[in-house]
Amino acid sequence: MPESLSIFIATITSHNIALTYILGMCPMIGVSKNLNTAVGMGMSVTFVVMLTAIINWPIYNLILIPTNSTILTYVIFIVTIGASVQLLEMILEKFLPALYRAFGIFLPLITVNCVVLSVSLFMVLRNYTFGTTLVFAFGSSMGWLVAIAIVAAIREKLELVGDIPKGLKGPGIVMVILGILALGFMGFGGMVNV
Amino acid sequence: MNGLRGLFDNLKNNESLSAFKPAIEAVDNIFFGPEEVTTSAPHIVDKNDTKRYMTMVILALLPSTFAAIYFYGWRALSIILVSYMAGVITEVLFAMIRKHDIHEGFLVTGLIFPLVLPPTIPLWMVAVGSFFGVFFGKEVFGGTGRNVFNPAIVGRVFLSIAFPVTMSTKWAKPVTEGLGRLFNYAIPADAITSATPLAVLKTGGVEALTKSTSYSELLFGAVGGSMGETFRIGIILGGIFLIITKIINWRIPVAYIGSVFVLSAIGNQFLPQVAPPMYQILTGGLLFGAFFMATDPVTSPFTKSGMWIFGIFAGLLTLLFRTFGGYVEGVMFSILLANSITPLIDSVILNAKFKPRNDGVVYNEN
Repeated sequence: MPESLSIFIATITSHNIALTYILGMCPMIGVSKNLNTAVGMGMSVTFVVMLTAIINWPIYNLILIPTNSTILTYVIFIVTIGASVQLLEMILEKFLPALYRAFGIFLPLITVNCVVLSVSLFMVLRNYTFGTTLVFAFGSSMGWLVAIAIVAAIREKLELVGDIPKGLKGPGIVMVILGILALGFMGFGGMVNV
Repeated sequence: MNGLRGLFDNLKNNESLSAFKPAIEAVDNIFFGPEEVTTSAPHIVDKNDTKRYMTMVILALLPSTFAAIYFYGWRALSIILVSYMAGVITEVLFAMIRKHDIHEGFLVTGLIFPLVLPPTIPLWMVAVGSFFGVFFGKEVFGGTGRNVFNPAIVGRVFLSIAFPVTMSTKWAKPVTEGLGRLFNYAIPADAITSATPLAVLKTGGVEALTKSTSYSELLFGAVGGSMGETFRIGIILGGIFLIITKIINWRIPVAYIGSVFVLSAIGNQFLPQVAPPMYQILTGGLLFGAFFMATDPVTSPFTKSGMWIFGIFAGLLTLLFRTFGGYVEGVMFSILLANSITPLIDSVILNAKFKPRNDGVVYNEN
């Protein structure tokens, strides 16, 4: 199997960023009440992750490494992420006002979504080339989108039929659902490697 | 009968016994039957109620249960009893604290769960698994009919990840001659083995599997495996009984087993490590999972095309797990994952089929 294909499959299944690395939990809990909003959130995370990976790879490999200033990696990455989320927000406000209103506070939250920073950091850690970085970024955010879509559909169903104890409503039951989902995803372990 | 009726009414109205009301209600239901209208699946317009529905499933499971006792001794029965006890205690405590009725759903879960465990499992582990399955798989979602995941599978998957050595290497050779182990309690230490047909397939390849095991051995249960999954003739008969009495929908087992058959027939041509289709179907927990666990009406889709998608998805995952995965058996994981995408399948299909038109009325666009 070519490396990029196995990376793509791994990032959705056995190395799912939400269900095996437990990253990006704040929007997973906050925006997963409704399936449509959740999928929209997943799409914008995909967009931001791809955008920041595309910007961060040349910055790291062409500027930070030659100038021997990798100590600045975290600062630079966070600045790029903040700037590109700001850009996405302006584009959405101008062209898709309905989606912009539906996101409300959650779009700025992508800035602090751990998925975005972690994809850039994994790319550094694992020495990916530009091509594999793109595949990795796309696969990771698709894996996150799959996870949040599953959780949102389950929460919509529970809204209709569930009878959740008072103390577990909201974040509590999402954590239980995510835990059981993560149990299921452990079955993929050992299938493919990143 | 009137006296008994009066006794239950008195007990139910007694203030000092109000904490035990769910337990009294449950005993009352056994004698007189429930009167309420169901609020969650399964819905049946019949004299049939959830309890009878569950009783039919238990009837279909009896051949496997007796086979487990015959193959593995009376310890199998004590595993079943421990599973029931741990589950019922969890269920009753929840009912008392939350002031609900006790649901009969545990009748089936409590029997299915021990049947998918290895016969040498320590009893405390059975209790832990049963508790975990009922607590996190069912009660936190509100109890029977409200759960998203099959509680028996949640318990089984939890155990196989928490205790991998016990759950995947401590199988036992069944005794198939004469009276089996009907006069034994425990399994002797020299009968404990790590070989099941699927483990042989994983370590030795297809050739080793086809040489060491024949179809009749697989069908009549003369191979290692979980307690209730090896007597496959009984499972098939039980499954057909459930399909004929319309307790379970035929689409899910057909889609599940059919997709495993077709995909392994294709895979067998191209990849040397894929076993031939008949071996894929007759090994491991596939038949048991397809007939008794994937068909749970609460955790599987209610739309017809959703059932096909559900079955094919589970079949594809099972084959992937078996062929490429780190675990020997993938049926449990694949049904758990199929359960988790069930709400997604249903809502996508409902959105595609029932679109509100401009006048706001919903039409069925089949």
